[in-house]
Amino acid sequence: MQRREFFKTSIVASAAILGTNLSAGQTHQPKDGQKMSKMAFPEKRPMITYSDRPPLLESPRSVFAKGITSNDDFFVRWHLPDIPTKIDLESFTIKIDGLVDQVLNITLKELKNDFEQVEVTAVLQCGGNSRSAFTPIAGGIQWGSGAMGCAKWKGVRLSDLLNRAGLKKDAEWIGFNGLEKAAYYETPNFVRELELTELDDHVIVAYEMNGEDLPYLNGFPLRLVLPGYYSDSWVKMLSNITVTNKYKSLFFMDTAYRVPDNETESETPDHKFKKTKPITFMNVKSIIGYPENGMKLYHNAHIVIRGVAFDDGHGIRQVMISTDEGKTWNEALLKQENGRYAFTEFRFTYKPTKYGKVSIMAKAINRLGKEQPLSKDILWNHGGYKYNGIDVVKVEVV
Amino acid sequence: MKKILLLSLLAFSSLFAQVKEDVEVPYISYEIKMGKGFDAVQANCLMCHSFGYIINQGPQSKEFWAKKTDKMITHFKAPMTKEDINTVIEYLFEHYGNGKLK
Repeated sequence: MQRREFFKTSIVASAAILGTNLSAGQTHQPKDGQKMSKMAFPEKRPMITYSDRPPLLESPRSVFAKGITSNDDFFVRWHLPDIPTKIDLESFTIKIDGLVDQVLNITLKELKNDFEQVEVTAVLQCGGNSRSAFTPIAGGIQWGSGAMGCAKWKGVRLSDLLNRAGLKKDAEWIGFNGLEKAAYYETPNFVRELELTELDDHVIVAYEMNGEDLPYLNGFPLRLVLPGYYSDSWVKMLSNITVTNKYKSLFFMDTAYRVPDNETESETPDHKFKKTKPITFMNVKSIIGYPENGMKLYHNAHIVIRGVAFDDGHGIRQVMISTDEGKTWNEALLKQENGRYAFTEFRFTYKPTKYGKVSIMAKAINRLGKEQPLSKDILWNHGGYKYNGIDVVKVEVV
Repeated sequence: MKKILLLSLLAFSSLFAQVKEDVEVPYISYEIKMGKGFDAVQANCLMCHSFGYIINQGPQSKEFWAKKTDKMITHFKAPMTKEDINTVIEYLFEHYGNGKLK
């Protein structure tokens, strides 16, 4: 063997050893096909149910064959155990206070009549969606791929509300608080803070979802809608907006929903990265809604592979499909009729010509040219946030 | 008269909630393993969340469960005695552990 070749081989060999080193953290396809609960929650169909208090419900894969997620199928995630069981719409108000010229208490009726009504279609996704892809198991609920959905949200612009109240000169931060409560008085509220400069006209306070009242478990009667952002800041049952001039240190801001503050947003289980940052914007991702894992496809049948793709609002340029373990990729047809924050629907006609097991893979590429990595190439982080690996569905051609 | 009533109902319909009564979130009984320390888990953890929230974290290290318990005390202000803290960690690691200390 020539010297140069020997070096090459040994580099490959050592890479292989490093590659199997468990302490680096590994990533794979998230859980799929979890059992659906027999018990339906209010205004929901039976869903994958991780907890009843607080309610944690996941949508099954089949929901993602369509670009709009119906309200009954939409995922649910609350943080605190005590959600009010009734909202009196006659007395409910949203309060806007803090560094404003005039404190406002706005009723739902005023909200619907005294402000311009606007609509945005946007994806709502938990930062921990697909967390079960990480090994060692990252802390938190072991979601499959269904802690997300896309809906038409109707409401009023946050900026219109803030303008009506009048912002004082030194206004810089906006705190959002909802009506969910903890069991203990001392437990911090689930308050989110956003910097004024982060907010644009796409941010709305919504009372309607897909043409209906917000379902109770999705934040009735009002929730914040932040297109492009992970759902941790889309405060539900929004009751108070407070304007301040400095960032208040809060548990749900400082400790939860954060990733390592380095270029790859990654770390190893043994050496966690000290400095962290909020998860904020969503990365490019896609999910196959049909077919599903374990299905049998008829040989030579014309199968329409369907799914959804999205990012933080730059928009999806392409979705590529592979049915040969990623050796070749073909472009899927896209349907984009709900704007850049919505699910892009993709479809691809596939005629299985060989018998046996087939992996169907989907890879989305956004308008910036960012594309999904293979799941094994996704780097580990302790919270199991922001997984966006190429989706793989395994079927059998018979 | 009937017509007028209907009209006024329609006019105000936007102020009626889809669900007009109290909603009731179902109780789901998660199968949790019995064993030493279960009483302490029931007394402390269930105040704020279901057993589902514990089970669905997946099997974890002793350090993980110790840190989770500490998070409940430090951040969520769960009032736990020192004795209960250790009992709960031991229970969680024994029944929902991955066998690793760290």
